[in-house]
Amino acid sequence: MWNRCLILLNIALLHSPLCYHWRLHAKEQIDFRTQVAPILQKHCLRCHSDGKSSGKLSLTTGTNLAEQQLVVPGKPDQSRLIEIITPAAGKRPEMPQEGPALTAQEIGTLRGWVGNGALWPASFEIKSPTSASKSWWSLQPLSKPVPPAPLQALPNWPSSPVDQFVLRRLQDNGLSPSSQADRRALIRRVTFDLTGLPPTPADIHAFVTDPNPAAYEKLIDRLLASPQYGERWGRHWLDVMRFGESNGYEQNHVRDNAWPFRDYVIQSFNEDKSFDRFVLEQLAGDIVGQGNPQIEVATGFLVAGSFDSVGNGNPIARRLIRANTLDDVIAATGSSFLGLTINCCRCHDHKFDPLAQLDYFRVRAAFEGLQQTARPLTTTAQKQRHDAQRGPLVQQLSNVEAQIADLRRTVDKRVDEERTTLIRKLFPRPPVSKYGTTETFTPIEAKFFRFTILRSTGAVGKSTVSLDEFELFAAEDPTRNLALATSGAKASVRSMRYSNDDPLAYGAHHLNDGRFDAVWISGEPGGQLTIELPQVAKIDSATWSVDRIRAYAPNRSGAFSAEYVLEASRDGKHWTAVADHAGRQPYDKSRLNEQLFLEALQPDEQAHHNTLLNQRRSIRQELAAIKPLPTAWIGTFSEPAEPTYLMKGGDPEKKGPNVAPASLSVLDQVVPSYQLAEDAPEGSRRQKLAQWITHPDNPLTPRVLANRIWHYHFGRGIVATPSDLGYNGGRPSHPQLLDWLAQQVHLREWRWKPLHRLILTSETYRQASSFHGNSAQIDADAQLLWRFPPRRLTAEAIRDSILEVAGRLEHKMGGAGFRLYEYTVDNVATYYPRNDVGQETYRRAVYHQNARAVKVDLLGEYDLPECALPAPQRNVTTSPLQALTLQNHSFMIDMARSFANRLILESEPGNIDEQITRAYHLAFARNPIREESTAARRLIKDFGLLVFCRALYNANEFIYVH
Amino acid sequence: MSTDQTTDRRVWLGNLATGLAGISLAKLTSQCAETKAYGKTDFLPRAKRVLQIFCPGGASHIDLWDYKPELERRDGQYLPEGAFLSFMGKNGPLMKSPWKFRQRGESGSWVSELLPHVGSHIDDMAFIHSMTSKSNTHGPGCQFMNTGFTADGFPANGAWTSYALGSENNNLPSYIAITDVRGEPPSGAANWGSGFLPAEHQGISLNADRPIRNLASPAGISPKAEQAARQFLNLLNQQHRKNNPGNSQLQARIAAYQLAARMQLSAPEAGNLAQETRATHNMYGTLDSNRFKAAYARNCLLARRFLERGVRFVTVYCASRASGVDGLMNWDAHKKLKADYERHCPIFDQPTAALLTDLKRSGLLSETLVLWTSEFGRMPTRQEGTAGRDHNPDGFTTWMMGAGVKGGVHYGATDPLGRRSVENIATVYDFYATVLNLLGLDFQQLGYYHNGIERRLTDVHGHVIRELLS
Repeated sequence: MWNRCLILLNIALLHSPLCYHWRLHAKEQIDFRTQVAPILQKHCLRCHSDGKSSGKLSLTTGTNLAEQQLVVPGKPDQSRLIEIITPAAGKRPEMPQEGPALTAQEIGTLRGWVGNGALWPASFEIKSPTSASKSWWSLQPLSKPVPPAPLQALPNWPSSPVDQFVLRRLQDNGLSPSSQADRRALIRRVTFDLTGLPPTPADIHAFVTDPNPAAYEKLIDRLLASPQYGERWGRHWLDVMRFGESNGYEQNHVRDNAWPFRDYVIQSFNEDKSFDRFVLEQLAGDIVGQGNPQIEVATGFLVAGSFDSVGNGNPIARRLIRANTLDDVIAATGSSFLGLTINCCRCHDHKFDPLAQLDYFRVRAAFEGLQQTARPLTTTAQKQRHDAQRGPLVQQLSNVEAQIADLRRTVDKRVDEERTTLIRKLFPRPPVSKYGTTETFTPIEAKFFRFTILRSTGAVGKSTVSLDEFELFAAEDPTRNLALATSGAKASVRSMRYSNDDPLAYGAHHLNDGRFDAVWISGEPGGQLTIELPQVAKIDSATWSVDRIRAYAPNRSGAFSAEYVLEASRDGKHWTAVADHAGRQPYDKSRLNEQLFLEALQPDEQAHHNTLLNQRRSIRQELAAIKPLPTAWIGTFSEPAEPTYLMKGGDPEKKGPNVAPASLSVLDQVVPSYQLAEDAPEGSRRQKLAQWITHPDNPLTPRVLANRIWHYHFGRGIVATPSDLGYNGGRPSHPQLLDWLAQQVHLREWRWKPLHRLILTSETYRQASSFHGNSAQIDADAQLLWRFPPRRLTAEAIRDSILEVAGRLEHKMGGAGFRLYEYTVDNVATYYPRNDVGQETYRRAVYHQNARAVKVDLLGEYDLPECALPAPQRNVTTSPLQALTLQNHSFMIDMARSFANRLILESEPGNIDEQITRAYHLAFARNPIREESTAARRLIKDFGLLVFCRALYNANEFIYVH
Repeated sequence: MSTDQTTDRRVWLGNLATGLAGISLAKLTSQCAETKAYGKTDFLPRAKRVLQIFCPGGASHIDLWDYKPELERRDGQYLPEGAFLSFMGKNGPLMKSPWKFRQRGESGSWVSELLPHVGSHIDDMAFIHSMTSKSNTHGPGCQFMNTGFTADGFPANGAWTSYALGSENNNLPSYIAITDVRGEPPSGAANWGSGFLPAEHQGISLNADRPIRNLASPAGISPKAEQAARQFLNLLNQQHRKNNPGNSQLQARIAAYQLAARMQLSAPEAGNLAQETRATHNMYGTLDSNRFKAAYARNCLLARRFLERGVRFVTVYCASRASGVDGLMNWDAHKKLKADYERHCPIFDQPTAALLTDLKRSGLLSETLVLWTSEFGRMPTRQEGTAGRDHNPDGFTTWMMGAGVKGGVHYGATDPLGRRSVENIATVYDFYATVLNLLGLDFQQLGYYHNGIERRLTDVHGHVIRELLS
């Protein structure tokens, strides 16, 4: 291990600095740049480079090598570096741990270099090696493949270029395609595929009996035209670009204004918006659609991710948080559109792909002006109208306020002259104290004491009140506190801040527990508490505080009672005031000044002041009556204060050179490059980036798009990693087909629906999913598509189908979403899955308000992503929790009941066989076989339809598509 | 408890539930074509399972575990760096711990007088006093401590363990997060999420007062009806499977339903604390008049019952999230350190110590790795204008105990004031490299491809802290 050997070396070796000037011991000239650096790069930098320095050793520069004394210049045999790369008798050398050992020649070169003095030319940096170079397949211009001829023609095959590519690959591998699926299987498959819903029995009947040879094409056209198409495929896009409706991180507050973006996506799919336009709108909708809410909303893409909203007192941490926030945007942009993991080169050049760290910051420069927040979403006309309404009022308001200030100045001048006298006269008593305020009064016999807080020491009308204790003292000597719970007294309050986790967290019991740690918080401006003594007692003073133990500096602590009245009662009904704040000097200076001002007003001034106050009140009312402009979570933009700079090692504190917004160098040989000025208008940066992404020469975007569409149709992409076409991603199973499809993207003007048609009408897609042992031996998971790969429904499709089959699915599109959790906030948000869900949740799951990291029963268990990171493909998990939910959650029982009622309504009364057949049509799109009917009849007779329907919902067939 | 007895009980429970011999979840998952569990160790494991005790809020190292006499001497002085900035802003002068430290055990290790019970286990603990975090904020800090990343979306320690080793039982989840009665820790469910790993590896959150969801059959469906429905479902599924050969997922789902049925019986049994003796309840403090302590004690007892039933990874949280008042619901003592910790420590101390004693006594500790963690420590200074301490990610303490761990070890150190780690600086990556090593896993081999990268619990860092290993 490196660490251990380093310690040894430090002891063993004397001072041996690495040389930064040429030493001539040369027997043989060895050039560092061309001979030594490539060896280190090839074998060592994978683990030992900046940002990834195993054993705290980076070989990017010579610094660590020298510091850690791994080389003794001129003495290869004493150099640790040489020792660990040299194999000992038949054993693998200690290093490198990964990859092949160095060849004898390479070791010889390094020995020679050390022997010559181990020169490392000043400021020479070795770049990390990448496993893919710019010759990597996905970075090449699109080829124009000719669909290959089959080795042998088959009936119906090939019927399209898609089939030609697929068939040839099959035949080259000794495979042949499956026969066409029957129409029932086909309509179920393609209906789920395009709409995420099961076909209705009527649809099935119409299709199965349609004599038209183009029945299938007609079906596809109908499904593509249905609004449910956008709900299904829009959801795919929301996965890809990490859409979630909460802020994430610690506070994770829900976003109630993010849904307009979701609707935009659904609508874009339904109107078959071209993808190049879709990209442009999402990156720069505020620029290209200024004043058009339907386009401006698209920048929701940029702020759809999570971010740390807590805030930080440490500026270094703040810069890191900002860097993390933008990293989310950069990562989403790279992976969603380009299939590039740009985020992997935040700290160093990409380890596997030919992406430079510079590329990362070029993209960051495009987003430098972005803030994670909401923005008004209106037409230009609406905004003008709104401004026109508000403008004059705002002007009037500032006029009135100026007059009030004038008056204030005049009067304050008078006050200043007699300030001390005035204070002494008006306020003979000291101000309230957070450490403890005592009111002494004529002894009174009472059982109840009520303390009403009229005004807190904090912001007027906003700040709530906290108290750590409230004490009542007996009129006796020595006195004692009778309010204590231990003495039998009870504290109650009108209101308190509520925490769902611990309902008593800020409760009344803190007021009389004799401890000064935790506090009662009123949760409203002002507040009221009542102490009920066990019996009538004679009381002559009360004391309360918020910081009795003096934990806080004088000017700090929570707001507490500034103005108040204390009342006593024998019966809890008839009250007598015993003390109030009258005569106390106001606690805060602004309140004091205000009081002095009011006191010093002369009658005419007072009238004038009242007039002004009335005017102000009415203007404010008018302003409040103007409906605010609707806003949505689509981000705001402003020109960055500083140019973007490269962060060495990804650390914002390690400033590198400034970076201008520019195209990615990774494609500079393929797509025309651009570079904007460092201070180019920020909107133009995003617009330019979008244009570069969709430039006709950019091969990545159409490849990624074509592959995504294929992925969702077949459950697996031609490249199995749809958001990563780099070295770590999959390799295309059908490279020529992928390029052919990518060409089609251009030919069909970036539109999705023609591409769907192209794929869905192929014989490849129409194959049966039947299993063939022989084919499976060659290609177990049907990557080459010798059959249609069967697959499980997505979480949304499962829930939607349950509702649809029960006849309960509401087809209302768009608008605010629904929640399957209880949402509570007490500083941070907490989400509790709901045990009972009502009809307001009977909508398609795409309208569920998905909060990050919140797994809601059915959806979470069936692999709905946590929506914190992009999810270009879904997991398929099998777990017992799924079974528990699908059998036992009250939603499932409600649905089974509705399903049963539907069967009763839709069949002849009492005809169990008809009910069973109907149920099978609805749930499985087929007739029951005899064995099933028999068993079903028995189950229904013994235990009723509900039990039967619940079983159907739990059947494998219900959630698998063939 | 011997392995044989464990096996016997499993078979018994399996038979009771379904009449079927148990099929382990590991086996079940390995049959799922699209979920490839790692499923084996790289070398001989020292620990079979993990108990993690997490004190969220940033539990103060210098008031609990890391004795700093120099801090006492320099109480009231300013650090050379002056009123430096941290999470909440400015810091005031140094503030000594309000509590005394005592030497405990044969090792004579120092521990705060706040922890009289836990201190009795000091000789079995291996401390890391030089921990560091990448975040000074609770949410990201907790996630970093549990997932190795400060960002959302990464799998938790227990999810990785479940993914790597599968389940050790056939009727309970493999990863359970026992939340405090006062609520979830900062960042909530992100602390036990499966991230991009398959959802089956997510931690199931529950506690002694809140069992697994959807466990009970619905009211109105009699056991007879339930049995008949299951038979019918089985007929449907077998029929479907016959018509669709070559799809192992279908069989996996059938097995998952059987497992669910077993869980319906075994989970309530595992959660039935009434089976424990009065003496055990007293030892843990489940009947204490302090309702938070009693609830935490019940959770500790529950943790032991899950561990002995072969749950692979159990995390128990002692305290919850940031609330309306700092330090009220968790260890986040920004303003009233003394009052806060005199409220939290009595909740934590006795039940935790009882759990450790119980594990030791039953022999479970020889197979169980115990971890104590918090997301960061606290500053030796007073937060300006308060009697509390701000967050300190630059130096704090964690400890391990149990299977494969050398007791009485103190690895690494902070400076004499506890401000920063200075000796053998340790990271969360090192911590989990060590944990995985004890579980028989090479931390550099345990990976999962996601969006362009082979992800690890330890990212691309970490080394095994061999000084902690026995």
